[in-house]
Formats: sequence, C-alpha cells, structure tokens
Amino acid sequence: MLNSLDPRVNRLPQINQSISPKAPLDQFGTFEVFVQPKEGKSFQHEGIVHAPNLELAYVLAKEAFTRRFTCVSLYVVDTREVFVSPMTEGNNNAYDLIPESTTSTPGNQSFEIYHLAKRGKQHVHVGTVAANNPEEAMVHAREKLNTGKIVFNVWAIATEAIRFTSEEDKELWLTLPEKKFRDASDYKGGDKLKNFLERTKINH
Amino acid sequence: MYGGGNTFEGIKTDSIATEDPTKLAEFEARIERGEKIEPADWMPQLYRKQLIRMIEQHAHSEIIGALPEGTWITRAPGFKRKMSLMAKVQDEVGHGQLLYSAAETLGKPREQMIEDLINGKSKYSNIVNYPTFTWADCCFISWLVDAGAIVNQLANAKGSYGPYCRALDRICAEESFHLKYGHHCVIYLASGTPKQRQMFQEALNRWWPPMMHFFGPSDKISAHTEVLMRWKVKMGTNDEMRNQFLDMYVPKIWELGFTIPDPKLKRVKRQVSGNTLNLIGKNLSA
Repeated sequence: MLNSLDPRVNRLPQINQSISPKAPLDQFGTFEVFVQPKEGKSFQHEGIVHAPNLELAYVLAKEAFTRRFTCVSLYVVDTREVFVSPMTEGNNNAYDLIPESTTSTPGNQSFEIYHLAKRGKQHVHVGTVAANNPEEAMVHAREKLNTGKIVFNVWAIATEAIRFTSEEDKELWLTLPEKKFRDASDYKGGDKLKNFLERTKINH
Repeated sequence: MYGGGNTFEGIKTDSIATEDPTKLAEFEARIERGEKIEPADWMPQLYRKQLIRMIEQHAHSEIIGALPEGTWITRAPGFKRKMSLMAKVQDEVGHGQLLYSAAETLGKPREQMIEDLINGKSKYSNIVNYPTFTWADCCFISWLVDAGAIVNQLANAKGSYGPYCRALDRICAEESFHLKYGHHCVIYLASGTPKQRQMFQEALNRWWPPMMHFFGPSDKISAHTEVLMRWKVKMGTNDEMRNQFLDMYVPKIWELGFTIPDPKLKRVKRQVSGNTLNLIGKNLSA
C-alpha cells in the first residue's frame, strides 16, 4: 500500500491492479492567493492555485507566486470562502448596490475586506470588520471603510478561513537572495564580448 | 517563453451579428478607452473563444517547451550552467501554471486543457518539437527562441484581457533573466574555440527556418483579423512581430561573427521619426 504525503502518489494504481479510467473533470478545487509586496504594504490578490487542501495550497502558492523576491508574506483561502459584491463601472460605487442589513448588532466574527479601486488592477486589502456573516460584514465595511472614493467591487473573507504566514514560515524566503543565478544581473557578458570584438578586429 | 505564431481558427465573423448590439458597443467602447476586460464582464463569444485558444496554446508551449531544455540540465557544461538552466526550466513550467490560471477565468477547466493537450486536440508552438543535438541548440533556444517569445509577449501584455495581461507582466519580468543567460552562453561559445564557434553556427543553421516559422504565417488581413486587432486580442500582425525580432537580434548575431542562413537578409536604411536607422529588411514577397 502506497502511503505518501503527495496525494498524486496515493492515487497511483496498485501493482497488478487493473486500471480504471478516472472520473472526468475531477480536478482539485481552487484557492485564492494574496501576497504582501513589501513590509507595511497591504496584501493584494495575486491569482489562484489548484490544491487538495488549504495547507498544500499554501505550499503551491509559495512555489507559483513567490519564487523570486516578489513579496514578504502570503496567504491563501478557499475560493468558496470569498464573498463578492456586485461589480460596477464608471461612477457607480459597489457599496451603493449592497442591500441594507436587517440587524445592526456588531458581530462576533472577524472579516477581511478587499477593494477593487481600479478596473484591470487587483483587489487590495483595506481593513477588518466584525460581523455575524459576510453580508453584514459588507454593510459594516460601507460604514467603516468606504472613503467616498469609487470602489468597483468588494470582497469579504472570514479571517478564520485564511491560512496566514506564520513567523516560522518566513524562513521560506531566507535563501532567495543567495540565488543570484536567477537574476539577469548575474549574466554580465559585456567584457568578454568586448575582448572578443577587439581580438577579431586585429585579426582582420 | 514560447507565445509565438498564433493561428486563429477561421470562425466566421458573422457570429458577431448574433451578439447583443448594445452590449457589443459597450464592450468595444471599454476597449477603445484602454480599459481591461475582466472575467465577470460581458464579452462576445468570439472574443472568449479566441482568447481561450490563444492563452491555452501559450500555456501548453511553456510546458512542452521546457522538455527539450530540461533534458540538457544534466549535460550542461559545468555546475553554474546546470543551476541556471534548472532555474530557467522551473520558470517555464511556472509560466505554464500562471497561464492555465488565466485561461481558466474564461470558463475552460484546467483539466480539460491538459486533456486536450494529451489527446492532441490543442496545439502548441511547433518550434519546441525540433531536436536539440548539441549544447549549442540549447543555447539557441535560451537566447533566440526566448527573444522571439518576448517580442510576442510584450505586445500581448498590452492586450485587452486583464488576467492574461497580469500573467504576462509577471512572465516578462522573469524572461529578462532567460534572455541575458542565453546571450551569455552564446557569447562564451562565440569567443571560444573554433570547434565551439562551429557548433553554434551549425545550431543557427538548423534553427533559423523554425525560428522564422515561429511567428506564424504571413498575415492576410481578413475581416476576422481586423476584428481581433480592434478587440486587442491580436496586438500586431505576424510579419510585424517577425520584423521586430529581425531588427533587434540580427545585428547581435552578426556582431558575434556568425552567418545567418538567409541570403536575402540585407541591411537597409529606414526612416523612423526623422532618424535614419540601420535596420534589417526582409523581402517577404520574394
């Protein structure tokens, strides 16, 4: 019996076992990836990864999006945990389209709020609100985080659903500065080229 | 790397006639204003279909393109070259992943794309099917095939579909390393022994025709192409991309004293905004 941490290995057929075709389109679900470009800057949405679970999504996100110093921190969340407001354009604020909340009690659950401030750009984290559910979180966000500037789309994600980067995790990026061979700046052929050109000039 | 020579399916432009004219006008006005199209926005069927096809082809080319270079990792001359090549191959596969994600936002599951690649339904850049006999072939790919891909990718990054542009911005940032690395390898071969020079000259002879085909066949401007260019799916004709590549890289190849196996290639003077520039002209009708 194969027992590996890599689920792909566990899905391999056993020796001498007949191979049955796998179910069509049974791919892993998607997870949204957010990165923090610099210390002190807001997290921004970066893309998706397919993964069997949150923990492996985190590992794959690190591989896919942060192989070169593009961020100082990242986190992932299951796509199904992202609550999305209507999308607007022109001079319409997405907050104007959010239905009024029936309750006005402050909630006991924490939600992260993201704004799309410019079409064609990424959603950026703007703050945290307390609410009972994502609908209410949007209403609270309108009161607390709406600066009057046009927002085209709002996302709300329950904080507890997010796999954050812990202090120990930050070691992941420690060896990156040593890998100079992955930078264009490590390939200086100018002198060699100049010598070559001078040498060939003399020969001619 | 390899985003080159897109051929577009000959869907009849009539399919646009069945689209909602108000929505179509809004869509075109948005592109006209220079705004990006996002996954949730309305888009014509033709736009969606051609973008899926283009991004998917690009993603497949990254994955398949990593194979010939991957086989050279163990045979690359020296530890440094092995490290660099390994990093490059890793980048290419990463680019494939980013591009599959971008294509997925248009509604085709990643698994479906991979199945279509395996069963041969989806296409990829043909240049990655050519054999790499020597290390010099691998150097040609790293420098010049990547250079050709950058010409295409920089153009496509100015396109109209948001997720594709964002993926390309990331990809282009990494490509600068590939290009410098490739050039570095070729400079070393060029300034090396006569045997090394001969090796690269032979690789150049083998790869030049596929490299020219990489940008796709000469365009006949049809109504179809015209629509795709108006929608900023196609950012330039295949010939424009090919000429841009020739202008930029033929002088660099000649500088190293190599011969390009195309006797019709000539230095020509062209007027560009008042300045006379030395550019490379290729008479494609000849």
